[in-house]
Amino acid sequence: MNLDFSIIIKYLPFLLQGAGLTIELAVLGIAFGILLGLVAAFMKISQTPLRYIAHFYIWLIRGTPLLVQLFLIYFGLPQLGITLDAFPSSVLGLGINSGAYLAEVFRGGIVAIPVGQSEASLSLGMGKFLAMRRIIFPQALRIALPALGNQFIISLKDSSLCSVITMSELLQTSQRFASVTFASMEFYTAAAGMYLLLTTVISAILRSLEWRLAAENRTRGC
Amino acid sequence: MIIKKFNVLILVTLILLAATGCSAAKSNSEPTTTLDRIKADGKLTYAMSGQYPPFNFYNEQNQLTGFDVEIGQEIAKRMDVKPAPIATEWDGLIAGLTTSKFDMILGSMAITDERLQKVDFSSPYYRSGAQVIVPTDSNISSGADLKGKTVGVVLGTTFETKARELGATVKTYKGDPDAFNDMVNGRLDAVISDKIVGLSAINKNHYAFKLAGNLLYEEKMGIAIRKDSPKLLEAVNNALGKMMEDGTYQQISEKYFKADIR
Repeated sequence: MNLDFSIIIKYLPFLLQGAGLTIELAVLGIAFGILLGLVAAFMKISQTPLRYIAHFYIWLIRGTPLLVQLFLIYFGLPQLGITLDAFPSSVLGLGINSGAYLAEVFRGGIVAIPVGQSEASLSLGMGKFLAMRRIIFPQALRIALPALGNQFIISLKDSSLCSVITMSELLQTSQRFASVTFASMEFYTAAAGMYLLLTTVISAILRSLEWRLAAENRTRGC
Repeated sequence: MIIKKFNVLILVTLILLAATGCSAAKSNSEPTTTLDRIKADGKLTYAMSGQYPPFNFYNEQNQLTGFDVEIGQEIAKRMDVKPAPIATEWDGLIAGLTTSKFDMILGSMAITDERLQKVDFSSPYYRSGAQVIVPTDSNISSGADLKGKTVGVVLGTTFETKARELGATVKTYKGDPDAFNDMVNGRLDAVISDKIVGLSAINKNHYAFKLAGNLLYEEKMGIAIRKDSPKLLEAVNNALGKMMEDGTYQQISEKYFKADIR
């Protein structure tokens, strides 16, 4: 057995740089995903033909692997004359992918609010849109938050797939050094540790956010 | 919480280490050499990336073929066993060899000092070199022009090391075809690869590429073999020497390159 974890120290600045890019990808990806997810969720609950578009989007994206979607965006689209760089391709891929899952998360949150609230708002003279914005959606968001956080963690880990479309994020950086130093165990352990650290931090942030939003439940030992 | 999770990580790592330690101890206690085991199994497994035409690639029938594959077939034949070429990711080849996933790497691997610290190499079975390949309308004319340019290479190759030395912005791929493809898409200013691989890509796929300048450096390719298998190394060198003498090597080489590349 020949393990030498001290080798990591020498390459740590590069690994941290990779981790920085991983964070960037995950944050931008999930932000784009939230946007798409909201749009798709509202389309899906609307009683208009728009809901079929949302159905199709969710069906298509949830039914295909993210890796295939990334290959299509990065290597496939140029054949149609759309050439995106690796970074926008990655954000687009992560966003479109997480958006499909988040659409269901948001829809679930909205549907979970009793119909009576909607009826009460309307009877007070609010419009449908105002009722959604002021009464329904804020409560739905609270319900959706744990699942949203879950998706953020998934996207952060999924961003490692972007390594195959030339992104020098955490995994690719680790692969690069593992392949020149042959210290596979050391570098992949370091990468795993960094992912774990990042997901732990995200979990902690989300827990405190949930705690803040659960104001009226707090006294009940939450 | 963070500290708690780290404890778990350390624990998992230790378990993994213990597991690998056990398997290492087991293989040491086995009396047979790699060569004996190959003969007993009746097959010689050798690995390559499978994405390095014309040296190793998948043909229209989805069979792994190419110069490397055929050299391996010839070696296996001379050892009286069946050839079993396999394709795996380039950057994982040496790790796969040292952990006994296959018997040897016969995949156009250049003999370098760094690699020699980990594995043994057979005598060189062909020579080539690193070449800058650019789009036909490019004004890059040598390696020195690559500073600040976006250059595509395969992850874990000597070409990657060179591209970083030259100060290029490096993009890494799993195989040369992906890199060439991305240069067609306009995302790369240049690709550094093997000269023969570059020439073959230009001729076969009619890419609008050209070779820029002379070779960056020459390379000798060897067959990588675990350090614990000196008998296999001897047998491979023997087979290589014989096929170079009796014209079989030349036949294979001319089939692919219309030249002898030894």
